[in-house]
Amino acid sequence: MDNINVFIIEDTASESDALVKVLTANNYNITGIATNFKDALNLFYNIKVDIVIIDIFLNGTPDGISFAETINAVPNASKPFVFLTSSTDRKIFERAKLTQPFSYLMKPFNELEILYAIEMAVEKFFTQENVFLSEEEDTVISSEYLFIKKGKSLKKVLITDIVYIDVEEKYCNIITENEKFVILISLTKILQLLDNSNFQRTHRNFIVNTKHIKEIVPADNLILLTGGYKATLSERYKDIIKKVRTLK
Amino acid sequence: MNKFITLVLLFFLCNPQSIISQEKNTTSVLNREMIDISKQFPSDIFFKKAVLFFLEKNWDSTLVYSQKQILTSQTKPLLDYSKFLRVYSFTQKKVFKEAEKEYSLISKNFKLYNLAKTYLGVLALEQRQFKKAITYFEDVIDLPEREYELIKKSSIIHNLGLCYLHLKKIPQAEFYLIKSIKIKEQQKDTLALIGTYGNVASLYYEQYKDALAIPYFEKAYLLAKKTNDFDLKRKATKNMAVVEENRKNYKKALVYRKEMEQWKDSLNDQNKIWEVAKLEKEFAVKEKQKEVNILQVENKLKETQRNLFLYSAAGLFILLGIGTYFYREKVKANKTIALQKENLDALNSTKDKLFSIVSHDLRSSVNALKRSNVTLLDNLASKNIDAIGTLLHKNSAIVNGAYNLLNYALLQTKQSYFNITSMSLFFITEQVAYNYKPLLLEKTIHFENTVSKSSLINADQESLKIILRNLLDNAIKFSKQNGTIKVYSQNNSPEYCDLVIEDTGFGMNEATRLKLLETNFTLSKKEHEEVIGTGLGIQLCKSMIKKNNGKFSIKSELGKGTKMIVSLPKTQDNG
Repeated sequence: MDNINVFIIEDTASESDALVKVLTANNYNITGIATNFKDALNLFYNIKVDIVIIDIFLNGTPDGISFAETINAVPNASKPFVFLTSSTDRKIFERAKLTQPFSYLMKPFNELEILYAIEMAVEKFFTQENVFLSEEEDTVISSEYLFIKKGKSLKKVLITDIVYIDVEEKYCNIITENEKFVILISLTKILQLLDNSNFQRTHRNFIVNTKHIKEIVPADNLILLTGGYKATLSERYKDIIKKVRTLK
Repeated sequence: MNKFITLVLLFFLCNPQSIISQEKNTTSVLNREMIDISKQFPSDIFFKKAVLFFLEKNWDSTLVYSQKQILTSQTKPLLDYSKFLRVYSFTQKKVFKEAEKEYSLISKNFKLYNLAKTYLGVLALEQRQFKKAITYFEDVIDLPEREYELIKKSSIIHNLGLCYLHLKKIPQAEFYLIKSIKIKEQQKDTLALIGTYGNVASLYYEQYKDALAIPYFEKAYLLAKKTNDFDLKRKATKNMAVVEENRKNYKKALVYRKEMEQWKDSLNDQNKIWEVAKLEKEFAVKEKQKEVNILQVENKLKETQRNLFLYSAAGLFILLGIGTYFYREKVKANKTIALQKENLDALNSTKDKLFSIVSHDLRSSVNALKRSNVTLLDNLASKNIDAIGTLLHKNSAIVNGAYNLLNYALLQTKQSYFNITSMSLFFITEQVAYNYKPLLLEKTIHFENTVSKSSLINADQESLKIILRNLLDNAIKFSKQNGTIKVYSQNNSPEYCDLVIEDTGFGMNEATRLKLLETNFTLSKKEHEEVIGTGLGIQLCKSMIKKNNGKFSIKSELGKGTKMIVSLPKTQDNG
């Protein structure tokens, strides 16, 4: 489980300091702080970014919106972002609203509000709303990461690191080579959102990352995985053998 | 015999006279009849035209249009009328053959069939086709009485007599002529009588029955004397002269001759007079023409004047119209301007009011902050940490009041972003309550948020936060030490979710409660100068709840506590 990388675009040092303090305290990584539009664009493409926090007004002009518009326009470059503003000016908001998905936070804000805003931005960006607020689920799935709510903050897990998933009613045990943890998500949703060329169901309760398969032992109904993990292969899902590249 | 021939010829010339007089009578009846008929069939334009030309005695055109009527129209009753018109016209043009042909086409039952026959008879007589004339006349001589409305029986009898006379059938001629005389004597038709006397006389005279003839000549002469017709007089006198000559009574003959000359001269004089009259008439016509020309010129002048007047009137009217239009537009514009002015005035007064509130309250808060800072410095100098904490909290309350002021101003100017979305009531409450944690702790107030995590409501996030902030602020402000504040949701209606903020504080009396719920906002004199915004916060809440399509109510018991209830519309599709 890794911390989330946050990129802050804010021209007032005291504001960005406060942000850094709050976010670091909640286990977010601040990977960069930009104070103007140009620096922001340069940094954005050169550092690791999971979420961008953008102050709308940079040195008196609404360059924050321009930045959002720019990253929105580039396919696959965009990341979840949150607008920060102290103005409720309608015209500015109408423009900012056009950068979908739109989430914002009014200054002054408290710790809960910024954490909530980040969660909302992630939900909206991956169009899986009402996940973190509900008691049934705590994970948003993107193409690269699982974003999991841990306590007050968010964590992420690289999907390719997942060896297999063990489903237990409402819970899913996620097993990576180094970690094991439980997330709240329904089986149907996880099957629907994970890339099914890599993830195959092998049993009522098992979803296996085919990249991590070392050996399939049909006689024992067993699949041997990296890291010494084992998964069960039931009769129903034996077709998986055909799909996995095997030595002859 | 030569003499006799001249005599006979002389009397033939009298014939048409009798027929014409008969015709005059007939024509008016006939004209009326034709007009009536053409009125009965207004759609037959050709017949109408034919009748029109018939009335104008334009025979050629009558022929053309009656022929067109026969060829084109389907109206049967008009067929016979058209043919009759053709017979009439041909008769007038003296084209006997054509007239006869047309006549043969007329159906025998036709009302005017016999009249047409009579015309043909007269024409035949004029063309000296006596036998034919006799056949035509004999057909019409013995008709029932009502048929003689248009046909003069005596004339027919006379004409028959004439025909026989010409054919030298003396007995028949004598019979008809004598009969004609009798009728005419009865009718006292002098002119016709003279002619008929003449004819009868010449009839006898030709047979050398002088004794019979002479009385008739004399009768004709005597009658002629009474008339004003010089030609008739001349002819009668001439006859007498010839008679006397033949009797070798030359003296008398001479007298008659002289008288005849006299009548001839009179006739010539009359002719001259007529010529003069004609010239005079022509002159008069010319004069009239001149007058007409002058009148025409005058008319033209008048017309020009009238046109000028018309054009100028039209021009003036248009000008008036344009004027009215622009006047109306102006009035409309004025109205709009007045309305706008009213709106602007209202807005301006709102703005002024706002400015006065803002400046007053802002000054109050700044002053409060200043005082607080001075106290803070004093306490810092004396290291009175407890007092510093209290002061800081007081400062945050002051700042909160200033925020309310700002939000109120923004709400009034409608410049603020407002977007209703679905959101979780629990998390919003949590976020807002987070800021009050230290204050709650300090006052040792027990706070619990038991809003259902599943209740989603539709609201604008920022205004909802402002509402909650104010209500929590109030709840804390009016709570005693060790009190309890509960925030919870009530699911009483399918459309609304009730959020209740309940405290165990001072509560309020009914009067205060009602005053708080009053819509019109008046700046109340501050009771505690250092706690600003009394009243403003609740007014702001009410305005914003209303804007969020919500409802607001207060339940309170003095000394026991207050319940502030905010009802907000649920997000429907998430159940």
